[in-house]
Amino acid sequence: MAGYGDGQKLSGTIVKYAWALVAGMVAGANAWAQGNSPPMPPAPETASAAEHVYAAARPRLLQLRTLVAAADRQSSIGSGFLVSADGLAITNYHVVSQYALEPGTYRLEYAAADNSRGEVKLLAIDLGNDLALVRIDHQDQPFFEFDERAVHGAVPKGERLYSMGNPLDLGFTIVEGTYNGLVERSYNERIHFSGAINPGMSGGPTVTADGHIVGINVSKQLGGELVSFLVPARFAAKLLASAPDDPQPSSVELRAEIGRQLTAWQDGLYKSLSEGAFRSTAFGPYKAPESAAPWFTCWAQTNAGQVPKPRASNNTTSCTSDTQVFVATDLNTGGIRLSHSYLSSVDLNEFQFAAFVSQQNQLPWLASFAWNRKWHTQQRCHEDFVEGSAGENRPPLRALWCARAYREFEGLYDVWVMTITQDRSTEALVSRLTLQGVTYPNATALGRRFIEAVQWKK
Amino acid sequence: MEEVVWIEVLSRSREVIARHRCIGSDIRVGRAYDNDLVLDDPYVAPQHLRIWRSEAGSWVAEDVGSANGLYLDHGRDKFGWLELDGNRPIRVGHTYLRIREAGHAVAPELAYQSHSRVWPVLVALGVLLMAIDAGSIWLGETSEPKLSPYLVSLLTVAVVLAAWTAAWSVLSRIFSGQARFERNFLIALSGLVVYSLYREFADAAAFAFSWRGLAAYQYVGIWSLLATVCFLHLREVSPMRPKLKAGLVVALLAIGIGVQLLNQSELRTGIDRQAAALRLLPPAFRLTSPQDETMFFADIEALKTKLDHDRTEPPSASPLPGSFPLRP
Repeated sequence: MAGYGDGQKLSGTIVKYAWALVAGMVAGANAWAQGNSPPMPPAPETASAAEHVYAAARPRLLQLRTLVAAADRQSSIGSGFLVSADGLAITNYHVVSQYALEPGTYRLEYAAADNSRGEVKLLAIDLGNDLALVRIDHQDQPFFEFDERAVHGAVPKGERLYSMGNPLDLGFTIVEGTYNGLVERSYNERIHFSGAINPGMSGGPTVTADGHIVGINVSKQLGGELVSFLVPARFAAKLLASAPDDPQPSSVELRAEIGRQLTAWQDGLYKSLSEGAFRSTAFGPYKAPESAAPWFTCWAQTNAGQVPKPRASNNTTSCTSDTQVFVATDLNTGGIRLSHSYLSSVDLNEFQFAAFVSQQNQLPWLASFAWNRKWHTQQRCHEDFVEGSAGENRPPLRALWCARAYREFEGLYDVWVMTITQDRSTEALVSRLTLQGVTYPNATALGRRFIEAVQWKK
Repeated sequence: MEEVVWIEVLSRSREVIARHRCIGSDIRVGRAYDNDLVLDDPYVAPQHLRIWRSEAGSWVAEDVGSANGLYLDHGRDKFGWLELDGNRPIRVGHTYLRIREAGHAVAPELAYQSHSRVWPVLVALGVLLMAIDAGSIWLGETSEPKLSPYLVSLLTVAVVLAAWTAAWSVLSRIFSGQARFERNFLIALSGLVVYSLYREFADAAAFAFSWRGLAAYQYVGIWSLLATVCFLHLREVSPMRPKLKAGLVVALLAIGIGVQLLNQSELRTGIDRQAAALRLLPPAFRLTSPQDETMFFADIEALKTKLDHDRTEPPSASPLPGSFPLRP
């Protein structure tokens, strides 16, 4: 998700994720889950600990390849790991997303460390946590177990973890790193893992020194060093526990399931937003809503330092949520952005100031979420001058509401809301709210709340 | 009785090139010098035509043995003789001839249009145009004040006006013999003034009354204005065939609007460009009271219906943009 401002500002935030999809995903596995695994003695040296971990994990690791069916060549690669004796394996949803969305065009194949290969059946997905459960035709192998402490969130910060997978198709690899707790600024629960995860390792396991799963490699921070993220093991355990016995769902069922999960996921997100996570912030003579949720990152910008001296001042606060959901290589959704620009004339007259307000990045803002004809309908807008009922402490507004529907997922929309205060001729507050992948009732409820919270300072 | 007959040599577009006064009721026409009218057209026979009055009283042209023959106007049929009506020309070789008696009825005199007052009007319009353009630039200025935008605008307008007027004057000179520079200049200048005023007022009215469509369909007005200006120029070139000219400019108008509409509908970027082109004026310019918020949200619900309909269309179908009804 693009943040506001430049790279410097982004440092230290968790705004940008890289899904390690195209080059490959991570496969990883830990060794010790089975009764036949030898108990591991406490390792005096980390190097030998990694050696033990990898030796035990090796037969449980998988590389998952998405192949273009017609060409029979790989289109993307990722990793995965066995979690049962009868061939159930966990990986990332984004590792199998091409196949999940276009099963006619792509097919899935696994490759194990013993060079065996075979078919992969996609059984279930968890979109919000970017997980998928697959079945492979590779039975009676050792498999991983989940770490009890990780499932209950009791892993101490600083514990050494081992991440495995097949980075960049170079072969199975083990990487050391440390556990750094849950990412506070992420709406979707993610473990902050300080270790090098590379494209191709997605879907691979990250394990403790005794070989139990703590998390599943999922993404890394672009522009950061060794800042990687894992999906907590408990979500994988949950997905495994709910594993359907049914045969692989059809492509229509899968798409419908993706739509259902997106809808359910955003319902949870907007429910948590509606539960009082807004606070009012002053902007000149106005006050406007900002989110108090921890998973919003806010930045301020001003044009005060511009040369030549600006003829109208622009003080902008922008907040971006860390709520992205991966649906396809060309479709991320779930983001929320809001911004307020308090504009005030320095030496512009009323007409010039109105022109200045009109220029406030309307086109880039309306284009702020990539448009893909495959996924979205054309944007449609409605605009008007609106006012609240008498007695409310609110300025009249120019309100613009734009929306587009998702073609594949019924009931989901991207929505843009902008208001410009229309009570003063040389001051204005421009407020923008952008919602991605939201149901219309949720969008109108939040949009209405947003518009009604643009008020005069008492 | 000695009869006076005028034989007119016409151009292809029927303008009179030469006029010969002939006397008598039997006139000979050809390239040789023993004719009454000598034509210097190599495609005309030395003895080509004989023009005489028939017993019925009408004039007749008769081919007296040419190789190329006698034709009626632009027609392809060769005639041995032709009865003349004084209006349709006949053709021998590459020469068009029209024969008229002294008593041929002519159109009444046209009212004389004084040109003496055009220049003050031109100057006034020019000043008005510059004032509108400069004012519009000044009111839209949001950064450092600079002189160049004003000068560039002035220069552009001057060059466009000069080129446009010159083109029409040349056409006018070719087809009617007179350049009519002043009148063509007046038409072009008035057109530009109306264009500038229209743009300003369309934006102002769109803001004042929430008339979305006025701004969105501005190009319809602009094309209509261009068509009107072209029609006035064409009329200035020559007042003949007004219906044909009106038809031409209406065709131009239809093509212009059609192409623009097609361009808009095929320009698919996923962005509602009309919404992005929102132009604000000072709040005091609002002349209607704001919409109640409840109504606004009702309209937004209606938008959902349209979006849901869009979903059912295949991605290749493009809904025409700008389905914003003008609010009464």
